[in-house]
Amino acid sequence: MIDATTLFTIVLMAGVTYLTRVGGYLVLRNRTLSARATAVMEAAPGCVLISVIAPAFVSRNPADLLALAITFVAATRFSMLPTVLIGVASAGILRHLIG
Amino acid sequence: MPDGIGIFAADIIDFKCNGSGGREADRWQSMSISQAVEAAGDGSTSEFRRGVASCAPVLFGTIPYALVLGAQATQKGLSVVELSAMTGLNFAGGSEFAAIQLWTSPPHIVLIAAITFLVNSRHLLMGAALAPFLRHLPRRKMFPALFFLCDESWALGLADARQRAAAGITPAFSPRYYMGAALAMYFTWVAFTTLGALLGPMLGHVETYGFDMAFPAVFLVLMRGMWKGVAAARPWLVSLVVAALTYLMVPGGWYVAAGAVSGLVSAWFLWREA
Repeated sequence: MIDATTLFTIVLMAGVTYLTRVGGYLVLRNRTLSARATAVMEAAPGCVLISVIAPAFVSRNPADLLALAITFVAATRFSMLPTVLIGVASAGILRHLIG
Repeated sequence: MPDGIGIFAADIIDFKCNGSGGREADRWQSMSISQAVEAAGDGSTSEFRRGVASCAPVLFGTIPYALVLGAQATQKGLSVVELSAMTGLNFAGGSEFAAIQLWTSPPHIVLIAAITFLVNSRHLLMGAALAPFLRHLPRRKMFPALFFLCDESWALGLADARQRAAAGITPAFSPRYYMGAALAMYFTWVAFTTLGALLGPMLGHVETYGFDMAFPAVFLVLMRGMWKGVAAARPWLVSLVVAALTYLMVPGGWYVAAGAVSGLVSAWFLWREA
């Protein structure tokens, strides 16, 4: 049911996340970050998210690339649910037709 | 999605300004301070309920996201209990999506901890922004309250505190309102990720149907929520290019670390005085 390594990883994730939650309050509350440092911190989550999905951008499957392009356009216009539906449907259909 | 999930802070603030929140603010401004205090209610139950109600629209957007995460986690070999433990203890959706995407058996512990920190590093700024409003809280209340800090509870709590401050209500920060919003998000997130994990095995292999495209879709929508103009997004492009090249040339999950770090370094060097 619960694997020891998995549990350890999960507890470590939880600890790291809680540190970010109290850390800002405890460390940064009496300090002013430079505009430059703030810009770097604000860019950080996006840098990670785009890196995680980077492999999809260099897929060798044309159906996947086309579906990703459609999903990308959808993400600029629609909210979460429609974008996910459009992404999943376009990938499923295009793989069936082309892939 | 707690944190990182679902709707990002900027979206929420927009929602507060354009949706019912805007009318709410107008109403505040047209009232005298004593009326406002009365309407805000010092009754603890009503403050909690007000928090839950203001979070409700966001909860509906969270549900599909939570289901996708739960289903994907079981495809990666996590048990239902393990997935519930992750979403219940970590309660930060963006990092959970990233962790599941990178999950191997056994998991790469250092990589996942580092990615979790990077995705959640925005909490540092969020906590700092909330700090002035939390000063009056005793520590025994503050440390549990901060556990439930997520994009949604932060945005709602901060927007509410600013409105109350503008209306002259002290203390501006309403802990029960904040906890109402935060706990509603928490239980929705844990319950629906767990439900997704229970339903996941019935869906079969996600790639067959294109369900794996849900990840890029979710991430791209999250990033739109963080969008602050082309200049601010240039580090993201650097991350994308470096991560993609690393993925093609280096085996393993290192492309995430390479992409993230090069994006941060470029954010530092590309920065120009506004």
